Order: sequence, then C-alpha cells, then structure tokens
Amino acid sequence: MTTTLAVMLSIHVIGGVIAIGIHNVVLMHLLKKTPDYVFISRIAWSAVALFFLSWATSAYYYVTYYGTAVKPRIIAGAAPFAHTFFMETKEHIFLVLPFVALSIALCASYLRTNPDDALRKSTAFLTFVALGIGVATAVSGMLVSGSI
Amino acid sequence: MSVYELLLIMHIIGTVLGVGSATFAEIHYTRFSSDDIITDDERKTLATTYTVMRTGLFLLVISGFGFLLYFRLTEYTDILTSPVFWAKMTVVGVLVCNALLLQARLMPFLIGTAVSLTSWYAALTLGVLREINASYFEILVYYAVVTVLVALGLRWIRARTHAPKKV
Repeated sequence: MTTTLAVMLSIHVIGGVIAIGIHNVVLMHLLKKTPDYVFISRIAWSAVALFFLSWATSAYYYVTYYGTAVKPRIIAGAAPFAHTFFMETKEHIFLVLPFVALSIALCASYLRTNPDDALRKSTAFLTFVALGIGVATAVSGMLVSGSI
Repeated sequence: MSVYELLLIMHIIGTVLGVGSATFAEIHYTRFSSDDIITDDERKTLATTYTVMRTGLFLLVISGFGFLLYFRLTEYTDILTSPVFWAKMTVVGVLVCNALLLQARLMPFLIGTAVSLTSWYAALTLGVLREINASYFEILVYYAVVTVLVALGLRWIRARTHAPKKV
C-alpha cells in the first residue's frame, strides 16, 4: 500500500468516527429541553464535512486499491462473507449517510431561527437513525479489516 | 515517539479520565444528594465531572480506532478475532448507549450510574487482561453480574447516606 492510500484510509476511518461521535453529541443536545441550536448546527455541519471527506477518501481507496488488492484476499480467505455481505452492505448504506447528515444540519440551521419542538424531536430521531447507520458501518469496516 | 506509542498514551489517558471521572461522579453524586438537595455549585461540579468523562470516552474511541487502523496498515489483524476485543467494543457501545438513555431520561438513574461505573472498570480490566481464557458470552455474563452487584452496592450506600441521623 502506498503512503497516499494509507493516508486516505486513515482520513476515511478517523473522519468517519469523529463524524459519528459528533452525531452522538448532536443527539445528546437535541434531547435537552432547551438545546443550544447555534452549537448544534455548527457541529452538525462539521459532521457533514467529515462524512463527505470520509466518503471521498474511501471512494478513492476502494476504486484504486481495495477491488484489486484486498477484495481477492478476503474472498479467498476464511471469511468471504466479510466482503460479500458486510462490504457490499456498507458501501451502499454508507452512500446514504452524508445526505442524512446534510438533512440533520439543515434542520438544525432552521431550528436556530425557528425553534419548534416537533421538528426538534424529528431531528433527534433522524440523528438517532444516522447514529445507528454510522455505528453499523464502522463495525462492518472493522469486520472487513479483520478478514484480510 | 512512534505512532503506536502515541496511540497507547492517548488510549491510557482516555481510560484514566473515564475511570477517574466515573468514580468521582458516583462519589460526588452520593455525597451531594445525601440531603436530597443539589445546589447550583454541586450541579456545576457534576457537570464538569461528566464533561471529563465524555472527553475520556472520546479519547478512548478515537485511539481505539487509531489502533485498528494501525493494525490494519501493519497487517496485524489477529486482534479482530479476539473475544476480549469484541467484549471491550461491546462495553464501550453500552457506555455510549447508556449515556444517551440517561440524557433522554429513559434509563433509571440508579441503573444508569451502575452501568456507567461498571462499564468503565470493565473496559479498563479488559484492556489490561488481553489474554483471558473466556469466550465472548462468558465475559458478557460476568459483566452483567458485576453490573447488578454494583447497582445493589450503590443502592445500599445511598440508602445508608440517607439514613436518619440519631439525635
């Protein structure tokens, strides 16, 4: 693996994990009775940036390295389901995540000027869903890495 | 300093902050709630302790994923088949879920604090005892049993601190 690919993979993992952590913080604050929407919208937009960064770097890694160097090793190894199920699921579900994060950030920005309890609860639910998808994606990535 | 050493220091600092703040959160809460009144100063002290705990959790998770990345890049992926590793990941997951449930007031406080305290010590213990002769489910059964014992212990301590004083 080249240094560029190692850096790309590192940005993908660390960026993604921090973005998931940010959604955790967003959810914790949205569950408060009087949330600080300025803070929430700022960190929600940070999560969007990190998810898109994680997405772009993983796309580069996947297209230039994973398919030719990693995937054949997993398929030939003891746990081919790590690719056929977990990676296939991860790569499709992860496509949704940056856009879910974008929706959360837009809702948080709207709430800054128009506080609305119903929208707060809906945004909290959407953030909970994004958190679940994020955690499932991270665990899938660990399983794929462990199957090489 | 190598990347591995840097991650190790970050991981240890995260664990120390988490375990220390979880312990002091319990001590402070038990002491502050003994008169059934939590003053603004006491609330601020608890809030600071919880902030330190969250910082510890953040460092623990980031350095943990840093380790995974390091092992992936150095092709040492044996750790990912270790039951201790998956048990530790489960414990950290429980910590995060527990914090969310406490925040949403969906978790009874006594159970939530017992889960938090036990989980931090479990993460520390599993991090130190990397090679133990137990399956993933055995570790989780021990963890569940200890959580129940800690909950009972905390209940007993809080009942004693609330006991009416003899005149």
